[in-house]
Amino acid sequence: MSPLRRALVWGIPFLVWAALPFIATRHIVDLLVFAGLYTIAGLGVAFLLGQCGIVSLAQSVFYGIGAYCTAWFCVHKGLPSPVGVAAGIALSTAIAALVGWPVLRLSGYFLALATLALGIIGQVLFLEWDWLTGGTLGIGGIPRIAPFGFAFDTPLRFYFLVWPIALLLLVLHHNLLHSRNGLALRAMRDSPEAAAVLGLDIHKLKVQMFVLSAALGSAAGSLFAHYVTFVSVDSFAIDRAISFLLLAVLGGVYTVWGPVLGALFITVLPQWLSRLGDIHAFVFAAALIAAVILLPEGFGGAIRNWWRARAAK
Amino acid sequence: MSLSLLLQSVLSGLTNGFVYGLVGLGLACIFRGTRIINAMQGDFALIGGITAVLLLERFGWPMAPAFAAAVAIGGIAGWLMEVLLIRPLHRRAGSEDSYLLLTLGVAFAVSALVLYTVGRDSHSLPGLGGEGIVVIGDAAIRTHAVWLIAISLATMGALRLFFAKTALGLSMMAAALDAEGALTTGINVPLMRTLTFVLGGLVGGLTGVLVGPLVTVYFDMGLLLTLKGFAAAILGGLANPMGAIVGGVTLGLLESLAIVTVSSGYKDVIAMAILIVIMIAMPNGLLGRRLRQGG
Amino acid sequence: MNSLLQVAEVSHSFGGLHVLRSVDFGVPAGSLTGLIGPNGAGKSTLFNIISGFLPPQRGTVRFDGRDITRDPVQTRSRAGLVRTFQTPKVFARLSVRENLMIGCYRHLASGVAGNMLRSHRSRVEMELMHAQAAEAGERFGLSEVMERPAGQVPAGMQRLVELARGCVSRPRLLMLDEPSSGLNTTEIGHLRELLQRLNREGITILLVSHDMHLVDVASRVHVLCFGSIIASGAMAQIKQDERVRQAYLGI
Repeated sequence: MSPLRRALVWGIPFLVWAALPFIATRHIVDLLVFAGLYTIAGLGVAFLLGQCGIVSLAQSVFYGIGAYCTAWFCVHKGLPSPVGVAAGIALSTAIAALVGWPVLRLSGYFLALATLALGIIGQVLFLEWDWLTGGTLGIGGIPRIAPFGFAFDTPLRFYFLVWPIALLLLVLHHNLLHSRNGLALRAMRDSPEAAAVLGLDIHKLKVQMFVLSAALGSAAGSLFAHYVTFVSVDSFAIDRAISFLLLAVLGGVYTVWGPVLGALFITVLPQWLSRLGDIHAFVFAAALIAAVILLPEGFGGAIRNWWRARAAK
Repeated sequence: MSLSLLLQSVLSGLTNGFVYGLVGLGLACIFRGTRIINAMQGDFALIGGITAVLLLERFGWPMAPAFAAAVAIGGIAGWLMEVLLIRPLHRRAGSEDSYLLLTLGVAFAVSALVLYTVGRDSHSLPGLGGEGIVVIGDAAIRTHAVWLIAISLATMGALRLFFAKTALGLSMMAAALDAEGALTTGINVPLMRTLTFVLGGLVGGLTGVLVGPLVTVYFDMGLLLTLKGFAAAILGGLANPMGAIVGGVTLGLLESLAIVTVSSGYKDVIAMAILIVIMIAMPNGLLGRRLRQGG
Repeated sequence: MNSLLQVAEVSHSFGGLHVLRSVDFGVPAGSLTGLIGPNGAGKSTLFNIISGFLPPQRGTVRFDGRDITRDPVQTRSRAGLVRTFQTPKVFARLSVRENLMIGCYRHLASGVAGNMLRSHRSRVEMELMHAQAAEAGERFGLSEVMERPAGQVPAGMQRLVELARGCVSRPRLLMLDEPSSGLNTTEIGHLRELLQRLNREGITILLVSHDMHLVDVASRVHVLCFGSIIASGAMAQIKQDERVRQAYLGI
């Protein structure tokens, strides 16, 4: 690629990204912020599915843990937001390691079902432990993130907080994929036996990736809590875990940036479809079905394949 | 805890257990015939249940034909599902995950369509035997629940005979276990896969009309039913024909025990925790037949 | 004799069928040892027991003097015991280059966090992996196909990829399971030379095959028949053994 084309390929999306929130309505910017949050949580799910073959329907639990830790430490204890974020990540990764160690011995449908069961357990516990989570009433009055007195208190400002974080995480995952352990992950996906013969500890790697994914979910949950300033159980039900999985699959799990497309799809499209009235939920489900059948590698995979085919010409 | 309370909770656990068992039976059926976990099995029940509701309430059909039609519609839904959606994915050799996502997507679509056409209200179906109850000691159980248990057992027996004795049932099993081998012996494998889904749909439709009188029919009922049914089927061992019912009853009894001893809020936590532990500790289910033998 | 690998009294049965009956044999350090036997003699079972894919019902496996009978596969591999498979198992969606790179895995130490942050060590290791892969590619004649997905190169070449990948991991004992199956006579000739060269460079090799012409390269050969070692010695000597001629050569 010539330098000019390279500049265009990277520069144009960047300009669009930077200009978009100033052009779009406040409502759209709000949706784009959610797309950013979902990208972070969905990246964890996509990485697990694409690189380790693990279907995770438990991401809503870690998303919830992050959000509640932030709410609890900031509101009830009056501590600064980094404490909440760190506590959420610490708790999520500890639980992921503890639960992941036995559960990740399962595979295929059984593993998917086990993570779904974890998601349901989380959903019920968030509701039942209302002394901690506020139950359906939730916890309100969560402070904004305001480093050095600059409050990220509008969708526009939060947009410029969440997307750089998402981008940074995408880059980190890209780095991981092109390194010793990333190579190992892709290898064990293709042949676990041969991977073991070369000294890879497959189970340990899987647990590590599950823990990493939980950390992402928790971070996204903390940011979510700071953005909406109110958390309640409705945000961490099993359908949230399903939407994280959907965005991963729709965006494509074999490209690092696939979750961005998937997140935009599941946040912006339903809102856009809602003009159609009550039928929008059905249209959305139909779009999902079509994507699974027609685009097995998601939008990301389809775009990459198109790009490669074009480059090969 | 009083004896009558215990008896009452055992009875309600049994009833719920057979509901889970029926869903699990449908799931196991489809798994046996296609090696697919059908994440919309509970939505087959929704389809059957809502059909019965519409026929009774809007079209004034009598109960027997309305219920029969509801079961048949379940079967037709299964047929459409296989021909229109599963088959194209099968043709491009979909992975386990992609089938799971596809059937999950269909579950959403069915739920959304019911929401759009019927609305978010819960609809209750008349039970078999009306509102009558059967008194056992100090406890009571609805006549409908007795019917549910009897019909579940009969369905289980019938399916067992079907897969073990009839040529069609054996062909369906063969098509699932060794598609190429089955083809060479002249079995129409694609047709067998379709019929498997029809069968699953029929069982699902039946589940719908049997569940409707107990828990009401509403647009969002499918997913949790599927999950409980899944847990039932796994508990019993997916490959075992009796498994789903045994697993379902076990699950139902444990749940009602949890309600009595802990609190009703934790019943799903306990059910799901048991499911996880069973999968790790006893991968072949309570009845312990190995999956890969398929029989 | 100083054995790198020592198998002692290993027995195994499937159902009621005794596949291995108290098998004893050793692989001396630095040797090129052959294990031959007709189909169904129990070679694969023995191979799986040594490499850790199957726990034996009785007996012990020692590697470098240490009892590894109950160790998982990856622990044995990290100690330097590396095997190939009868049907080559390459990482199909990875390029040949990446297949070779991953061979270095057990000698490297960077963690997930370091990899994400592109730590110094992570980058150094990546360069090392590239260098070793390039060298092995050159050496095993794979330079032409380095960028192709390993699943898409011809079957004979996949076997080479697997062998090269095993060598990149610098094993102390390289166990080869029927490496000549699917190869033509010329390729088998190349393989013979390759094995001799690797052995001269200090890699101990255990070669399992039913192909007499290939096993000729071994300095010492054990014959497994119906689950027991019926003869051991140099190839020339083995060929004269009456029992071997009866049981194996069928003459």
